[in-house]
Amino acid sequence: MCREDGSSEVQLGQTHIMGFVTGQLVQPYRDRPNEGTLSIFTEFSPMADPSFETGRPSESAVELGRIVDRGLRESRAVDTESLCVLAGKLVWAIRIDLHILDNGGNLVDAANIAALASLLTFRRPECSLGGEDDLEVIVHPPEEREPLPLIIHHLPIAVTFGFFSSESLLVIDPTHHEEAVMVGKMTATLNANGDVCAIQKPGGEGVLQSVIMQCLRLASRMASDITKKIKDAVETYNTERALRKIKRHPTSITLDGSVNLKEKLNEPSGHNVVNELSRKHLEKPRLASAENASSPGNNGEGESKSSNFGRSSRRDGATSNFVGGAASWDPYSRGVDSDFLKASLASRGTLTPKKKQQDPTGERKPNESKPEESPGDVIPTTSAMDVSETGVHKGGEKTLKDAVKPKHKRKKKAFSSTADAS
Amino acid sequence: MEVDRADGRNPNQLRPLACSCSILHRAHGSASWSQGFRFIQTSHFYHFNLFVFTSKCYFCYWVGSGDTKVLAAVYGPKAGTKKNENPEKASIEVIWKPRTGQIGKPEKEYEIILKRTLQSICILTINPNTTTSVIIQVVHDDGALLPCAINAACAALVDAGIPMKHLAVAICCCSAESGYCILDPTKLEEQKMKGFAYLVFPNSILSVLPEGSSLVQGEPMEHGIITSVTHGAMSVDDYFHCLERGRAASAKLSDFLRRSLQSKLPGDLSKAE
Repeated sequence: MCREDGSSEVQLGQTHIMGFVTGQLVQPYRDRPNEGTLSIFTEFSPMADPSFETGRPSESAVELGRIVDRGLRESRAVDTESLCVLAGKLVWAIRIDLHILDNGGNLVDAANIAALASLLTFRRPECSLGGEDDLEVIVHPPEEREPLPLIIHHLPIAVTFGFFSSESLLVIDPTHHEEAVMVGKMTATLNANGDVCAIQKPGGEGVLQSVIMQCLRLASRMASDITKKIKDAVETYNTERALRKIKRHPTSITLDGSVNLKEKLNEPSGHNVVNELSRKHLEKPRLASAENASSPGNNGEGESKSSNFGRSSRRDGATSNFVGGAASWDPYSRGVDSDFLKASLASRGTLTPKKKQQDPTGERKPNESKPEESPGDVIPTTSAMDVSETGVHKGGEKTLKDAVKPKHKRKKKAFSSTADAS
Repeated sequence: MEVDRADGRNPNQLRPLACSCSILHRAHGSASWSQGFRFIQTSHFYHFNLFVFTSKCYFCYWVGSGDTKVLAAVYGPKAGTKKNENPEKASIEVIWKPRTGQIGKPEKEYEIILKRTLQSICILTINPNTTTSVIIQVVHDDGALLPCAINAACAALVDAGIPMKHLAVAICCCSAESGYCILDPTKLEEQKMKGFAYLVFPNSILSVLPEGSSLVQGEPMEHGIITSVTHGAMSVDDYFHCLERGRAASAKLSDFLRRSLQSKLPGDLSKAE
């Protein structure tokens, strides 16, 4: 879910990560005078896990930072040359802060997605050269000139696998319980074009070559999936942002509620939520439009909105469990799972307990046999999963709206009481 | 003298509030508090256990930014206290995480203020020689950050089940040049104003006991001030004016807090199924 320019929130099962991107004008490194810089800071917040402590980053924090960094920097995903403003004097330094809020396992994948999503939605202010000799750099605030997005060539997606002591056990997207018992792990960073950007297998149990190749095949399938989901989420955010800008221009504070209502209803259908909000906002239409009008421009940080990234990230969690799972689970359980999804509306909490239950029952044994089957087997199931999931979510959204209505009454009471505070 | 506020509120109007609890899975208690919203996306999570078929629902309100939002997490009593702490009592440790950037002096100051405030509302004698950690993560800052964090921390402590004497509600009031007082400023308003104060009051008590028992030295308990932090210059009269306004608003805040926390009680889960 993207709240505003340059920020994103990712939920992968129980794992919850927020990413923020900010930019600053600095002097470039001497050996690269015409390239901007990209730096990644990971915060293993103590709120994510009782074992995380403040102060010096732990080994796993450093490792996570390095994996995400390698995926972005060395694969040249972000175009650093476009970040140069004045060669040798001023370049943009992009800083990505990743805050780990909840550790449900597999922080690497989620952190990677958070970094990518926030990079895609980040807008930097436009600069132009002016003054005498064209040596002065003028930074234009967002009200004057539209801030520019970063140039991102491709999206490197990290996929993590966990290995267990029995050779045939392989898990994709491990939860924190699985991480505690696994003996080895491997993270493969790939992009949708099929390029391998990075592979990291830090020690642990030795693994057969064939298993590694199998992992890479699975990962490439998942990468294209996740890339599509990230792009969809960013698309919805961009359309909302564009719509909000249209609303920004009629700056009269007395914009009546009906106009807002209509505009919000025109937004893409994925936003049934917006309709609920606009109904609620009928009480405070001036507040919304006036805040749009008086946007404080800081670093190109825009205004609010949310998108369905939260849901699509849950879909990520779902797909990652399913695609790997599709190869490993027997047809019966796959069938149950898709019905399960339809019944449960949201895939987050559901899949992790399922996985845990299956572990002790040793249903992982079919893992080894299934992957040996032709890859052709896995592909149709993936698409079937996708279809069922999009179906679920459409259905989910409708029922969400109905289910949530009673809640609004309470919210309305809260607002009317704050209004009465005057 | 009417003061025109950029977002069209009148001077005594608070921004819309939203509070949600139990949003993190690993933390013992967690809450997010936001003041002001543009967009609410509500999500329903149904947690099914395949073999037992029970269901739990979490209602989560993800709130749009451009307004102040803070996430608080609490880890319940851990054994041992730090070196400088009194081992006869429970101690509270606060960690403040800013949105971006390094941790500096302002963050340390917030940690200290928050710690002292929470120490005065928690019952410290129940679990001696333990440390309760409260971690605050700033999601977005648009004015009145510390009050938002205090409110979130209170809600998270309730969610974690830490014993407390009463809750604290925090509010920010600023005084304009004209002597007028406005509540719950945005960041721009805070910067423009002559001075502002963060005020923390105990929440109002709903009690079945007769009224006299909640009085302290003849005054109702909710008129007490737990914490007051001021920035900028304001006259004594302005300050008292802010106090009055703050007290009135805190009654509304208390109501909101009570309502949103009551809905998290187990009794409500049966309705959700």
